[in-house]
Amino acid sequence: MSSLIGFLSLVFAIGINFYLILSRYIFKFKKQRFNFSIRLSSLLTLLSFFSLMYAYVTSDFSNYNVFQNSHSDKPLIYKISGTWGNHEGSMLLWLCMLSIFSFLFSFSKNIENNFQKLTLIIQAFLHILFGLFIVFTSNPFLVNSIFVDEGLGLNPILQDPGLAVHPPILYAGYVGYSIVFSIAIAGLFQNTDDEWLYVAKKWSLISWTFLTGGIALGSYWAYYELGWGGWWFWDPVENISLMPWIAGLALVHSLIMVRGEQAIKKWIVFLSILCFSLSVFGTFLVRSGILTSVHSFAADASRGIFILLIFFIITGFGFLVFLLKEPKKSNNLNLFFINKVSALLINNILMIIATLTILLGTIYPIIIEVLYNKRISVGGPYFNSTVIPIMIPGFLLMSIAPILSWQTNKINNSKKYVLGFIILSILVLIQSYFLDFNTWGFIGLLLGFWIILASIIAIFTSYKIKLNIKFFKIINPHIAHIGVGIAIVGITCSSVFQNELDFNLIEGDEFTVNGKTVLFEKIETTNQINFQALRGKFLYDIEKNLSKKIEAGKNYYPVSKMITSEAGILHQWNKDIYFILGDQKNNEWFVKVLINPFVSFIWLGVIVMMYSGLIAVTRR
Amino acid sequence: MKLSHFSRILHIVILSFMFFTIKLFAVENIDERVKNLTLELRCMTCQNQSIYDSDAEFSNNIKKIVKNKLQKGESERDIKKFLVERYGEYILFRPLMNFSNIFLWSFPFILLIFGSFFVLIKTKRKKV
Repeated sequence: MSSLIGFLSLVFAIGINFYLILSRYIFKFKKQRFNFSIRLSSLLTLLSFFSLMYAYVTSDFSNYNVFQNSHSDKPLIYKISGTWGNHEGSMLLWLCMLSIFSFLFSFSKNIENNFQKLTLIIQAFLHILFGLFIVFTSNPFLVNSIFVDEGLGLNPILQDPGLAVHPPILYAGYVGYSIVFSIAIAGLFQNTDDEWLYVAKKWSLISWTFLTGGIALGSYWAYYELGWGGWWFWDPVENISLMPWIAGLALVHSLIMVRGEQAIKKWIVFLSILCFSLSVFGTFLVRSGILTSVHSFAADASRGIFILLIFFIITGFGFLVFLLKEPKKSNNLNLFFINKVSALLINNILMIIATLTILLGTIYPIIIEVLYNKRISVGGPYFNSTVIPIMIPGFLLMSIAPILSWQTNKINNSKKYVLGFIILSILVLIQSYFLDFNTWGFIGLLLGFWIILASIIAIFTSYKIKLNIKFFKIINPHIAHIGVGIAIVGITCSSVFQNELDFNLIEGDEFTVNGKTVLFEKIETTNQINFQALRGKFLYDIEKNLSKKIEAGKNYYPVSKMITSEAGILHQWNKDIYFILGDQKNNEWFVKVLINPFVSFIWLGVIVMMYSGLIAVTRR
Repeated sequence: MKLSHFSRILHIVILSFMFFTIKLFAVENIDERVKNLTLELRCMTCQNQSIYDSDAEFSNNIKKIVKNKLQKGESERDIKKFLVERYGEYILFRPLMNFSNIFLWSFPFILLIFGSFFVLIKTKRKKV
């Protein structure tokens, strides 16, 4: 029953969107009626999504999708998240996000009427494309042809609270760019005033913040769930999310800096189209099954072709309009070496090069396979030795960019910065001499701390310190950059200065980690709701009364016959101690302990970046 | 007075760079070499995992082979060549710099050169 309701409301919503597009040319709507239809179609799409969720929660196995991906044993939260833990459901979530963005946009004020209408019509067009894709190739409401009373279960790796919220947040980021795309196209068609820039800024900041959160959640999940102690692997799927993120970052910077220059406006339109194209392209790569990963649930060529088609329609349409309706002839930019505008230019060029490099590295194995019929890998080492060096000038520039002048190439208080930089380099040099020297470690630490230091100098020398909201809005760019600096320090320390210790232990053994004694208490197996847990229990720092418990082990999921590893992590502000329980051999357990210094700084940096993303939304 | 300050700083910088180079050429021990090499190899039986990070049987075997060969004094290059002959280029996370990958390796730097020329041409050095 719920499946029927879901399917009908999905189809009705698509119908309404057809009607909306026709309405522009055949029968003219009043604003109220137009907005009403948009909102109705959004609510119907939501209804469709929630009826699928209802089917999951009630374990309604007459729905084929639920049967394939759920099991009545699962805890409630994974029944809910199971809704988007499969291809069909996640596409419905995508559509749902699209209509939520249309819904919210229909409420925005201070926008010219026709402009808003046109934007929403482009949204309706996108809704139809993805809606038809769902109905024809990935219908989540198919009826199960046989009668069963149990489902096949959800991939255990996806049964994790972090991963339950990761897709909706990530999708909010991806799909948020659809509204930016629509705004930019509508701006090209109407070409009236610059009001659309402000609107686009708001929405692109919101999408970027969500995308940041989604990516960070994904990599945090990889960190504690995959059990290798790393958090970023340059996996194709990670690269795909990183591309719109970097392009979106370039977009956000351009939007914040634009002051009526036609050349920058043109560039903004280009970036807006690019961001959404990259999002759709990413969806194509993941969903088509060309790339193998946790994310590609089921490979099906027809889906791949269909999304590829959608990708070409959107990108082709977008760039075609861009070429035909290009904004008026550009006046010259006020560029000096180096002022704010030229810094923006350099920053954008670097970000685009990074995006294109990641794109090339991600699809190169496919190209080679087609051309030479051999398989190659393009992995972390490639990206580390191309993308990171390219970004370094950008990071250096970032430290001072917010205080550069618009007109001239002078920097106030430049002596303080020079002095700060020299002192900092000496400190980092001394540090790197006494610890293990590593070139990347040295560069990373210097860069990270320099960005933080320069931003702090800038805050204290360029503004009057006040503790009110307005002040925090003014220094927001510096705060964002401090966030990046903190993250760079975290990334450098955790990847370069990671320490690994291996032990073979029997229960009751004591061993030393980082100067502290650790007791390997015992091995315990317990039965949980839908899995069996094997846990090694450790007591960290037993000499103190407040010794900390760490549990590391594995879970066995009988339904899907899979084993997942569960790392035991002791979080401290300056390091994570990461326990992995290996296999048993002759009564001895293999235990790997990783000491990851300053990992928490990565997440802290991300939180700071997201905070300033949100603050920037409210700033005019 | 100012000059002496400056020269003092210069001394410190030069001295530290000397320390640097000493550290830079320090010989790595065998385990570190194994780590650095296996980090760049793909575990063929896992999903996007390096041999170093993986505990699969395949990876443990390769780790042993790599260590053996390093102890025998074979160079990283020879070991990689051996592994490519056995398992194909797919095992290398860092693609070879050969003819078919020339575009892959040169593309970012070509873009970078073009980008910097663009910036240099567009920007004026002096203020109006």
